[in-house]
Amino acid sequence: MNGSSEGDVVVPGDVVRLTGVKGKVVLGPGLARTGEGVHATKCGVLRKGGNNIFYVDSRQKKYVPAKGECVLGVVTNARGDMFKVDIGSSDEASVSYLAFENATKKNRPLVNVGDVLFGRLLVASKDMEPELVCVDSHGKKGRLGVLPDGGFLFTCSLNLVRKLLRPECPLLEALGKQLAFELVVGLNGRVWLRTGSVRETLLVADAVLAYQHLQPHQVQHAVDQLIYQLSSS
Amino acid sequence: MPRPLLHSLLSLILNQLTRVLHAVCSVYKQNFLAMNSNSSNGTHSDDKEECSVRPILCELGVITRPDGSAILTQGHTVVMSAVYGPSEVRMQRLQVDRAYVETVFRPKAGVPNTSDRLRETIIRDTCETAMIATLYPRTTISVILQEMEDSGGLLACSINASCLALMDSGVSMKFLFAAVTCGVTEDDLIIVDPDADKLKECKASLTFAFDSINKNVIASYTSGTFPVQTYNNGLEKCRQASDFLFDFYRDIVRKYASTL
Amino acid sequence: MSVHIKTIHPMKYMRDFLARNIRPDGRKLSEVRPTAINVGSISTADGSALVKIGNTVVICGIKAELTVPNAENPNEGFVIPNVELPPLCSPQFKSGPPGETAQVSSQFLADILVNSKCVDLQSLCIMPDKLAWVLYCDLICLDHDGSVLDACVAALVSALCTVTLPEVKFDAITKNKTVELEKRRPLTLTCFPFASTFATFDENSILADPSEEEESLCSGTISIVTSGDSLYSVHKPGGCQLSENRLSECISKAQKRSLTLRGMVEKSMESIKS
Repeated sequence: MNGSSEGDVVVPGDVVRLTGVKGKVVLGPGLARTGEGVHATKCGVLRKGGNNIFYVDSRQKKYVPAKGECVLGVVTNARGDMFKVDIGSSDEASVSYLAFENATKKNRPLVNVGDVLFGRLLVASKDMEPELVCVDSHGKKGRLGVLPDGGFLFTCSLNLVRKLLRPECPLLEALGKQLAFELVVGLNGRVWLRTGSVRETLLVADAVLAYQHLQPHQVQHAVDQLIYQLSSS
Repeated sequence: MPRPLLHSLLSLILNQLTRVLHAVCSVYKQNFLAMNSNSSNGTHSDDKEECSVRPILCELGVITRPDGSAILTQGHTVVMSAVYGPSEVRMQRLQVDRAYVETVFRPKAGVPNTSDRLRETIIRDTCETAMIATLYPRTTISVILQEMEDSGGLLACSINASCLALMDSGVSMKFLFAAVTCGVTEDDLIIVDPDADKLKECKASLTFAFDSINKNVIASYTSGTFPVQTYNNGLEKCRQASDFLFDFYRDIVRKYASTL
Repeated sequence: MSVHIKTIHPMKYMRDFLARNIRPDGRKLSEVRPTAINVGSISTADGSALVKIGNTVVICGIKAELTVPNAENPNEGFVIPNVELPPLCSPQFKSGPPGETAQVSSQFLADILVNSKCVDLQSLCIMPDKLAWVLYCDLICLDHDGSVLDACVAALVSALCTVTLPEVKFDAITKNKTVELEKRRPLTLTCFPFASTFATFDENSILADPSEEEESLCSGTISIVTSGDSLYSVHKPGGCQLSENRLSECISKAQKRSLTLRGMVEKSMESIKS
């Protein structure tokens, strides 16, 4: 057995050959080191990211928290010093009331149960409860924080999220040329969307969900149809 | 909706579904036979016949709510499977170093009995061996199996369906696993993957689950009386047949890989 | 000191022992614990046996009752095994309805009886479609210290050996049953199946007759039921993968052990006769 290399279809137990890399290699999700070699632990396509990161792109719906990832969550408990946020993992994440921009002991951030929060995972370990922050290391919120009212939150599979977040995503490019919308994508399989009207929101959400099963060349056609539906109403 | 009505409705839908699947099955079988004849040049034609499994069909992600699901038909045996997790765990089931794996096997009609319990433990232990449960401490992973139709090899089909659902769920695994049943006739001949009619004529049946790396035995379940030599022969035949299942798994992944 | 290592690193503790081909209790890897079989220990039962394997103790009592045969098999009687794992035997069991382990063990015994056909069910029939014996075999585990299935099978088989059934006269017209308690005939077994459990540790060590402690540390068990030549069950519910050679090794060991156990049963049968 020669082992699989980048772009190959792998199943758990396959030996993976990391080719064309010098220096340190980072094993991402779906890969594990066993003794001498590297094995796949998930079914999917072996991919290589920047900085020699190798991972397996696989079908998955359940989110397992990983440090540094930006996720969308719904606040379930906003009492006390720690807010509880449901991010779709087995444990609820917690977020301190001080982890917001300009928050001090006197100046508590305005967070209510049911709010949608976009945060970065500060702590994510299999043995600990995940912890979110809504500021970067300079105390600036950037794009993180409580999302405004009027948005629509829906869930999708994790590989669709990765597909949406690729540097050039044909769907978002094509949609962006025709419509104005705000889209927040959490790596935990949640998407937040806001457009001008309810109808537009639902159509865009449908398009995003359908993107899961689309090949790149089918995207333009799907978007054209969507615009046609919108204009015909 | 009352329960009996739901059952009858479900079985009605399933009958239709299996009928459609069988139409596709026959096409698949032809492909499979063609494939088999390509690969087994050196063997006797009789051997080839014995080592082939019934036509297989499968669809991943058939139900939307679970984190992974699959429906698998092997011949006329149909099993639907679902995986939830890793999700929250009940306090009494909590394990600090690994995930708690639970299996629920639902028969086609009636409530589960003790032989279903035995089946559950075999499926659970097999899944637990293949999963890397230590990656998900303090969580539960539930594997749920629903028998749709049993026409021989139900345990093997259930084990394979659970593997497919786990593949769909993205739970990390050390290897894939596949189970094959074989029947032992009165003259100690082996029939690989027999259907219900052939199984009735057999004096014993052996079911083995293999891992995808070394094709070693993960699970073994037998019924009936048989000599040691026959057991070893059956094991070898089933192991050869498991190759087909592993190829089948890989083909499924290849099919959906283009949309990833 | 070793007690501390055992609590902190149970796996390493075990591994260190196995690396020197010895187990924490001083046995060799393939050595079984001392076994004792006592038959006819319950005088009020129609058949009984007590089996001790190491610390594991299982007692089996058999009660014979008269019943109507099943319409599907009108000339067959019944043997119904039931395993009870009371909270007494181990902290892992709670009182209440039988748990998963107990149910699975009962089913396993029932499967063995069907597979091996060791009791000729037709011999339990008195009058086809009218009257037959049903043998209720109650197995109670008194001490749960590993390899309970082995002890259960041995207890069941040796208890079945001691069963004597009184002669019954049945009048098909008047439906009168007369049981002659004095005239008893023994039940004959066609074969003597015995189970041997092995535990797999770290893929390359196989421990015969594991204790509870070893079972909990090991990654899986395999139970082989045989009467010496024929196999009645090779039950391996998952766990560590085994190669074919290892499997054959286990089978041949199980075959040897079943012959030893059979000898023990025969010896204790003679002792009650004399």
